[in-house]
Amino acid sequence: MSESPDVKVAPWTGPQRPYDIIKEGTIAFIVVAILTIGLALVFSSPDDPQVTVQQWSTKAPIDFAQTALSELNGTSGTAQYGAPYNTASAGQQLGPFTLAKWLGATIPVNTVRDFVVDPLTDQPATPALSKALAQWKGASSAQRTTWVDAYTKVSGKMTFANGTVSVPTSAAGPVPVMINTLEQMARSGALDQALVTQNGFYTSNFTLPLLFLADGSYLGDLAQQRHLLGTQWGMMNETGNYPGQAWLWLYTFWYQVPPFSTSANADIQVWGIMMLLSLVLLLVPFIPGLRSIPRWTRVYRLIWRDHYRSQGA
Amino acid sequence: MAGSLLAALVSLDGAGHYFHWHWIDISYANLTVIALMVVTFVAALFVPFPGRRSKKETK
Repeated sequence: MSESPDVKVAPWTGPQRPYDIIKEGTIAFIVVAILTIGLALVFSSPDDPQVTVQQWSTKAPIDFAQTALSELNGTSGTAQYGAPYNTASAGQQLGPFTLAKWLGATIPVNTVRDFVVDPLTDQPATPALSKALAQWKGASSAQRTTWVDAYTKVSGKMTFANGTVSVPTSAAGPVPVMINTLEQMARSGALDQALVTQNGFYTSNFTLPLLFLADGSYLGDLAQQRHLLGTQWGMMNETGNYPGQAWLWLYTFWYQVPPFSTSANADIQVWGIMMLLSLVLLLVPFIPGLRSIPRWTRVYRLIWRDHYRSQGA
Repeated sequence: MAGSLLAALVSLDGAGHYFHWHWIDISYANLTVIALMVVTFVAALFVPFPGRRSKKETK
């Protein structure tokens, strides 16, 4: 059996010369360091201020209140996401494989408890809030659903004036007080703190405020203005006119084309494709045809043209 | 004071600019970086190795 020309390569018998990799590495490091420091001095770096729940509730109070309601009635994106936050749906799946579900709710989030009831419980007690929370906690699940449904039914007529959220209903039990107090808590900045400190002493876990923000329209609108949405190739963009993660072009490319652009499972599908392509890249030396491309394109002859010229001469 | 001292000489904040064609949507900043990478690659192919000529001459 004849061996492939990609595998059967004659050993090098020509002249050799020393190569100082330490010297080359040092020069490369110095050049990159000078470039990095120089470019940072000239252009600085993007530093968009953090988007907070306080900012959201101040600039879009109705959107905040509607989102808080969606956390209560279970219609928010987080409430319906499935794993890793809950078991409301199968989550991301690859064909018949419900991969997210297999891993389970590893970051459990109960939207009613984590976004509404617990933060309100942490608030300094006012008579109205204490009464509302006692009423909520003492009620049956069916009763709570009846209150939330009554509020949801008229939520389209929600208004905001003088720092107060109002809806035309008297059948929603403690829900109006809860939503209104949460709004005021958010506008004061206390909700940002409450959502972060729920995860323990260290306040570096922003999962809850991020999920809450992502459930509303405000954060998405800001992302769209800055060209950061997934549908805008946002994965490879930075804010302003700074260059972003151009090397992620292939990853984000798949999100722009069918069937991924319309798939509910695009995240896991694109991940699967990229893993497959990564495997192909890793196995290039073993894939006939693919491994022959350097031999066919002969780019190496361009790089070592002096050598091949002398061979031909 | 420190902020003004550390401020960038050229500000890239403000509204971004994007090249949009069919479903391709890319910032001019990213396009510039990609173009520079291509130029660097082509230069690496065609620009002679430093010292090559002098070595030849000393032979």
